[in-house]
Amino acid sequence: MTFKERFFLNFIKDSRWHYLTDGLLVTLEVTFFAVLLGILIGVIVAAVRSTHDKLIGNTKSKLSKFMLKFFNSIANVYLTVIRGTPVTVQLMIAYYIIFVTSNNKILVAVLAFGINSGAYVAEIVRSGIMSIDEGQFEAGRSLGFNYVQTMFYIVLPQAFKNVLPALANEFIVLLKETSVSGYVALQDLTRGGDIIRGRTYDAFFPLLAVAGIYLVMVMGFTKLVSLLERRLRKSER
Amino acid sequence: MSVDFLIETKNLCKHYNKGVIKALDDVSAGIQKGEVVVIIGPSGSGKSTFLRSLNLLEMPTSGSIVFEGHEITDPKVNINIHRQKMGMVFQQFNLFPHMTVLGNMTLAPMKLLKMSKEDAEKKALALLERVGLAGRASAYPSQLSGGQKQRVAIVRALCMNPDVMLFDEPTSALDPEMVGEVLDVMKNLAKEGMTMAVVTHEMGFAREVADRVIFMADGKIEEEGTPEEIFTNPRNPRTQQFLQSIL
Repeated sequence: MTFKERFFLNFIKDSRWHYLTDGLLVTLEVTFFAVLLGILIGVIVAAVRSTHDKLIGNTKSKLSKFMLKFFNSIANVYLTVIRGTPVTVQLMIAYYIIFVTSNNKILVAVLAFGINSGAYVAEIVRSGIMSIDEGQFEAGRSLGFNYVQTMFYIVLPQAFKNVLPALANEFIVLLKETSVSGYVALQDLTRGGDIIRGRTYDAFFPLLAVAGIYLVMVMGFTKLVSLLERRLRKSER
Repeated sequence: MSVDFLIETKNLCKHYNKGVIKALDDVSAGIQKGEVVVIIGPSGSGKSTFLRSLNLLEMPTSGSIVFEGHEITDPKVNINIHRQKMGMVFQQFNLFPHMTVLGNMTLAPMKLLKMSKEDAEKKALALLERVGLAGRASAYPSQLSGGQKQRVAIVRALCMNPDVMLFDEPTSALDPEMVGEVLDVMKNLAKEGMTMAVVTHEMGFAREVADRVIFMADGKIEEEGTPEEIFTNPRNPRTQQFLQSIL
């Protein structure tokens, strides 16, 4: 078979390219909502952990001390379990055990990947908060801002700039990690390519096409991040 | 009869390691309205800890602090309200690097005093003018010299219309040629009647500007009095020893 014939067989015949485009949409959908969920969980968990670390020494009331410790230990259990088990296993547990009654595979995947990513985002955000000099915090508090306002107006904007490369890294990993969605029979981009391979018995074209599509997405995303980084650096000489 | 203090501490203690280390040991002192109090002492004497506990950046282990009639050491008191009335200037400036000079100065007035952007900026620009930095409103902190940064830090605190200004070694991180410009701003502030508590090693400033000098050592107030009393005729041997070692 010539190159042209193989291309026709793998992509054009029976509109097989639909497996790739439909799969791409699923991959993007799962990644997008998982990123949002991951950020939400990550910021909350990071806030719980760093609030505990910052305030535990200065808190006198027994109730606040208990609350800080209580939420901090929940956050620690979450981090330990999620970072200590493979995402593929977590996805299968979510699909076959926890949400066994659900037919919405995309929703299950979003939850599984989002909850997984949240653990990594949490530690990235926390490292960003810890990278900000204590003096920034004191300056905010001395002006009369409360703890949350100081975090929101002064610490987090600077922390975000510091952790942007690490966050971008996490989202690239997440985009590619969704390629294990096939384990719960969700037809994402990787699964789409694999289905074509099963139909045509040709591995070369569908797999390289899948790899190429991931590569282009990651390159585009990297470009966006570097533009954002340059904008945020404008306050530095 | 007792004097009417703007801010007063009673038996203030700050202990570490369950009392093994006493950063503050039973410190009772007061600052009257319009008074400039300079706190001196060897390093590790607790003078910075004392200053930082006045707005509860350091939480005292025991004792009380009364500010404008409110006992702010009471856990039920909302300290944020009272901190708005206590400006603080740090050794390391602590300007917000992600904001311009104007942004640094208008953030708190806009968010906490609910000032409009125009009013806050007008006030900030007037203050910048007074400290000779009118042209640097749109600069970022990284573009300023140390002396300029500290002057901005002072006017940032002034933007909140504080009743007292706390200075924690404001010139210690500066190159020698920049110390004067910061001290000048502080002298003018004192002349205008601002209540000030200053921890510093600048004895010339203490002599010239202070209404009262407090000498601290080992977490205690060892001696206090007018600059003349402290500098020309110290009674406490620790004070004499300290002044000899630095003058």
